[in-house]
Parts: sequence; C-alpha cells; structure tokens
Amino acid sequence: MLIDDENLFHLVFEDACSILDMALSFEALDSSDEADAKFKAWFPDDPDHERPECVFVDLNIIGSSFDGIEMIRKINYEYGDGVVIGIISSSEDEAEIQKAKAVGAQFWIIKSDDIEPRLEEFMEDYDAYKSKTAPFKIYR
Amino acid sequence: MVEITEHTRNVLLEVAKKRKIYVEGNFLKLLKAPKGDKEFEEYLNLCKEKDKTTRKKRLEVTKQVQAQNKELVAKQEETDALMEELQEALEAAKSAEWEAEKLRDEAEKGKEKALEDLDLMQKRSQFELIGTIVRVALVIIIGVGIITTIMYGIALLSGQDTQIIGSTWSNMFGILLTNAFSIVGTIMGVKYASEKDS
Repeated sequence: MLIDDENLFHLVFEDACSILDMALSFEALDSSDEADAKFKAWFPDDPDHERPECVFVDLNIIGSSFDGIEMIRKINYEYGDGVVIGIISSSEDEAEIQKAKAVGAQFWIIKSDDIEPRLEEFMEDYDAYKSKTAPFKIYR
Repeated sequence: MVEITEHTRNVLLEVAKKRKIYVEGNFLKLLKAPKGDKEFEEYLNLCKEKDKTTRKKRLEVTKQVQAQNKELVAKQEETDALMEELQEALEAAKSAEWEAEKLRDEAEKGKEKALEDLDLMQKRSQFELIGTIVRVALVIIIGVGIITTIMYGIALLSGQDTQIIGSTWSNMFGILLTNAFSIVGTIMGVKYASEKDS
C-alpha cells in the first residue's frame, strides 16, 4: 500500500512494483485520514483479518490531518503493528528520519525520478523486514 | 497459481491469434501453463512481455509528465515571485507618486505664500510711499499756510493795505484746505481699493 498525496507518483510506483514483480495487488491512497479510517477497520482483534502486508507512507501528505510519521506511529502503536512499514519521501532531513525511526519506521526510501533501483534493493531486504530482523535502513 | 482449463486455454489462444488480444495486468502473474504445454507457455510469456513493455512505456510517460509537472510548479512559483515583486514595485511607484503629489502641493502652497508675501511687501512699500507723499504735502500745505498767515499778520500790524493780501490769504487757505481734503480723500480711496483687492 502507498499513502501519498501525489497522484502521478501512484502510477509510477504501481508500474515500478509491477515491473519488478514486487506485488500482486496494490492500493494507493492520497490522504492519511483515508488510510487511518481503513486501518481502523483492518485491525480488529482478529490477527488473521485482511490487512496490507507492506505500507509506504509519504512524509508530508498535503490535505491530510497528520503527516507520515504520525501515520506510522498510529499504525504501530494504535492499530496493531502487523505490517512492514516505512517512509517514502523526497526529503532527506536527518531530524525527520530520526523521528520516523523512533515511531517504528523500518526504512526510509528517498523518492526521486529513478525509483526502481531503490525498490529492487528494498525487495532484497524485504524478508528481513517481515521477520523484524533488519535494522532501519535509508535507501538513497 | 491458477490452473487453466482446456476450453479457456483454447479460447485465449484463439483470441490472441485472431484478434491480437492478450491477457494483461497482475492477474497474468497468477496464470500457469499445464505441464508440457509449450504453446500455452509461450503464449503466457508473450503476454507477460507485452504487459511489461506497456508498463515500461506508461512508466516512462508518467515520469515525463511528473518531471514536466515539477517544472511547471517551479515556473509557477517563479512567476508568483515575479508577480509579487511587480506588485511591490507598483505599490512603491504609487507611494512615490503620492509623495511627489504631496511635495507638489506643498511647493504650490509655498509659491502662493511667497506671492502673498511679495504682494504684501509691495503694498507696504506703496503705503510707505503714500505716507511720505502725504507727510511732505501736509508739511508744504501747513508751511504755506503759516507763511501766508504770518505775512497777513505783519501787513495788519504794520497798517498796510490788506485788501489784496487778505483776499489772497483766504483764497490760498481755501485752496490749501481743498487740496488737503483731496489728498486725504485720495489716500482713503487707494487704501479702500487695496483692501478690496486683497
């Protein structure tokens, strides 16, 4: 799942994921409020309930009540912490990266025109993220 | 993975052959050719290749649009900044125009005041001149009156004939008084006219 306010990036990300065989199903949302409502429904007490496997969140989501870091905090601390989650942003602000790490983000992917090499590298590390054994990593 | 039945397989191959329509999207990744079915395996590989090419093309176009969008946003920001600068310059020009207008008004007021002062000075010098003339005229009138009176007095005291000097004295006195009143009248008239003009 991708949470990002830039609709064109949804297309870029979906096509890149498809070309790299990263995911069979993909959902893109353009506001953290929409994502919040979905996560509330996806995370009841039943751990087998349908939920996304991996979530990429933009840092600054224009038109949303809260940013990507708060979204990650909510997912990790309020809705069950059952997904691989991290930030995908054009920002490289060290303070923001540390904040994201503190709320449980597992990775930080720098968004640029050429996203595919970073996603490929991310795919290689994916199993370790899933088993929560991988350290926090920045994909530059 | 999804196994394909014989009928579906044949339909898919026929549609591809006759109408050039191929399966596409992520569902394609779930399809699997029956073991040993080379023809369908090749068909699936072709579908995957086509799907990948289409996605790559779309990705390229989307990236181009994304780059153009970024450029447009940057240009828009640049234009906005220029517009803001222009607006500021316009406001500064308006303010300068207002200042100039104010200065012009002040200069005009100054000019009017200077003209008024000049007029006042001219009037003052005119009055001073008139005053001098009046003083001189009065001195002459009084002097002539006194001299004539003295002469008339001497003639009376010395017992001389006073018929001529007496009539001359009264005529002259009359003329002098008439002239004196005429001068005073003229001065009053000039003063009244000056006050009316200002």
